[in-house]
Amino acid sequence: MAKAAAIAGSTDPPLSRERRPELIGVGSLLGTGILLTAIAARWVSGVAAVGALAVVAGAIVTLVMVALTGSPDTKRKLAPYGLLKPGMLWLALFYLAPLVTLFRLSLSTLPSRFAVEAEFDFNFGNFTRAFTDFGPQFTRAFIYAGTATILTILIGYPLAYVIAFRGGRYRTMLLGIVVIPFFTSFLIRAIAWRSLLADTGQVVQLVEAFKLSGLFETLGIMNNGRILNTPAAVIGGLTYNFLPFMVLPIYVSLEKVDPRLVDAAKDLYSTSISAFRKVVLPLSIPGVFAGTLLTFIPAAGDFVNALYLGSPGTTMIGNSIQDQFLVQNDLPLASAMSFVLMAMITVFVLIYSKFFGTEDLT
Amino acid sequence: MTSSQQRPSRPGRGLTRRQLLMRAGALGAAGFSLPAFLAACGGDDGASDGESLLFENWTEYIDPTEEDLIGTVDRFIAATGISFTYSEAYNSNNEYFAKIQPVLGRGEIIEPDIIAPTGWMAGRLINLGWCDTLPLDQIPNAANLEDSFKNPAWDPTGEYSLPWQGGFAGIAYNIDVTGREIRTIEEMFSPEFAGRLGINSEMRDTIGLIAMSLGIKIGSLSTFEDAAPAFEFLERAKAEGFIRRFHGNDYGDDLINGNFAATFGWSGDVAQYALENDAVRFVFPESGATSWADTMVMPKGARNRDAAAKWMNFVYDPEQAAQIAAWVQYVSPVKGVREELAKIDADLADNPLLFPDEATLARTQSFAYLSDEVEAQYDEAFSRITGA
Repeated sequence: MAKAAAIAGSTDPPLSRERRPELIGVGSLLGTGILLTAIAARWVSGVAAVGALAVVAGAIVTLVMVALTGSPDTKRKLAPYGLLKPGMLWLALFYLAPLVTLFRLSLSTLPSRFAVEAEFDFNFGNFTRAFTDFGPQFTRAFIYAGTATILTILIGYPLAYVIAFRGGRYRTMLLGIVVIPFFTSFLIRAIAWRSLLADTGQVVQLVEAFKLSGLFETLGIMNNGRILNTPAAVIGGLTYNFLPFMVLPIYVSLEKVDPRLVDAAKDLYSTSISAFRKVVLPLSIPGVFAGTLLTFIPAAGDFVNALYLGSPGTTMIGNSIQDQFLVQNDLPLASAMSFVLMAMITVFVLIYSKFFGTEDLT
Repeated sequence: MTSSQQRPSRPGRGLTRRQLLMRAGALGAAGFSLPAFLAACGGDDGASDGESLLFENWTEYIDPTEEDLIGTVDRFIAATGISFTYSEAYNSNNEYFAKIQPVLGRGEIIEPDIIAPTGWMAGRLINLGWCDTLPLDQIPNAANLEDSFKNPAWDPTGEYSLPWQGGFAGIAYNIDVTGREIRTIEEMFSPEFAGRLGINSEMRDTIGLIAMSLGIKIGSLSTFEDAAPAFEFLERAKAEGFIRRFHGNDYGDDLINGNFAATFGWSGDVAQYALENDAVRFVFPESGATSWADTMVMPKGARNRDAAAKWMNFVYDPEQAAQIAAWVQYVSPVKGVREELAKIDADLADNPLLFPDEATLARTQSFAYLSDEVEAQYDEAFSRITGA
């Protein structure tokens, strides 16, 4: 490739000016990314690491030099790669390197019961255990997160719709009200729900005062007179905590909808309902899509809600990973579980975006 | 992550508590002024500027400074001038171990100078070589150690640990929720309490109490099979939805506000909770209670050995130990506490939970000291049930 470029360069100077800056750009971008990942993941160490670091620095300096001394055309060609570089380095250092380290750890074994350092030995047993021992927790994580996501859409969409179309000059204030509770710490909110939902708390008392216990038991929200420490409490906590992540993107996409489009639809003999179904809803789908990703992905890995509002029968995979990482100190197993969770979420997102995805993520 | 939560000081203590405080006030002041006076006289054993100490202990395990009673921590600071930090970071043995394992396992030093593992955990830390020997030559009051606490299985030579307090695990229940007295483990696990039981994450207490109710002698457990029925019992209880939450030392709120009908609790804790809600009761199950002791050990490389020695010496003085015992209501390992306590509160001095008599001891058993290999099996089986 390089040779071809060189030959092309010798025979056709204008072509080389067009090609070579891009080659330098891409090469230095990928090269520094890979080298930095290798250093941070400790594939190379000692003298080799210093050497690799020198190469990274050299590549950056070269790029800058070429950009400074090159022709305006070269500069223009190189600019995107230069601008991508900080992002690439960041990604290598804080995403790729940890990911590689985690993957290596997930294939390691602890040599003894209280050992601190795991030994790398292609131990796929950790992945087997992640599936065999934690099936119910994976299932619960996806069911709870899925239910919570659907609930946030059901609650969040009408809310965003009203704010966007009927909010008038109070729009900003109304949005502020949606967000204000989240100025309080995540933990405090979860703990506050504990006392609200407690057996002697206000919620249970209210339900009993209105003689709704029977209905709530039938709906599965209550269990033997309890709300706290049931699946309903965990799903409720997730829904509550992730609601703004659904409301805000939907609001943004609805706000962009021109009200005159609805008028036009009505002029064309559309009813209000079909105007909404055929005009407003399709235009707001990107918001729903973005909101779903922002809600479902963190909710599936969440452990705080299940920790404070759940019981031993409602633990999610996030709780299991936390338990293995911090209580059992089984880092290899915990890493394998994290990887399985990541893979499952990726598959979900791919399938989901295949069917509902749009180019426009608001 | 829960371990860093601290209980706020609770308002509205009961009348009994106030009376105790009044009576204790005078003695507390005396205990404060005498050492302070000695220190002011300027001996070499007095304050040396810049000395500091960190003790990480279980929650509600020492008399705090409140109203006109000066807590042991503040009396110690006043007496020695040591910059002493008393932390309640110890919520459960396993949780705490998980926190220190990566540090001590790499040969690095953890921050606290003294920690409070239960006997069996002290044994594990000692066997792993993660403890320093105590500077016993600087702790003359260690001679006050009660005979019954001497030479425990986890530290046969006694050079690594001094007991902090001993106590019992039994059934703690809220009679407002249960509606009746609970006397046996079977009554506790009756279907009406499904989803309303807490379970202590301390394996030796939970499995111990269940095993005893199944007629197993927990003092002579030697293989995993010996206790297997107790694990099956717990597993079944979990599968049937009996268990609301597994907890460490953080079960007071749920018991007081009625989220827990019952759980396996510790004698002294429950005495504290009863001051807030007199519906909270503690009972030895008819099949028997477990007994245990928490210790003070110094993690490997602890920086402030001299200050730690002064603290241990201070709390092994019967007069100081009596102040602690009056508040925490556990079994003090210090000789002479009963006589000192009789001056503060005669009722407490006759309480068999603080000073167990033969009849009480006959109803308790302590969990066998397991070999490494067998302990690993117990631990794994237990964490499979309690783990998330």
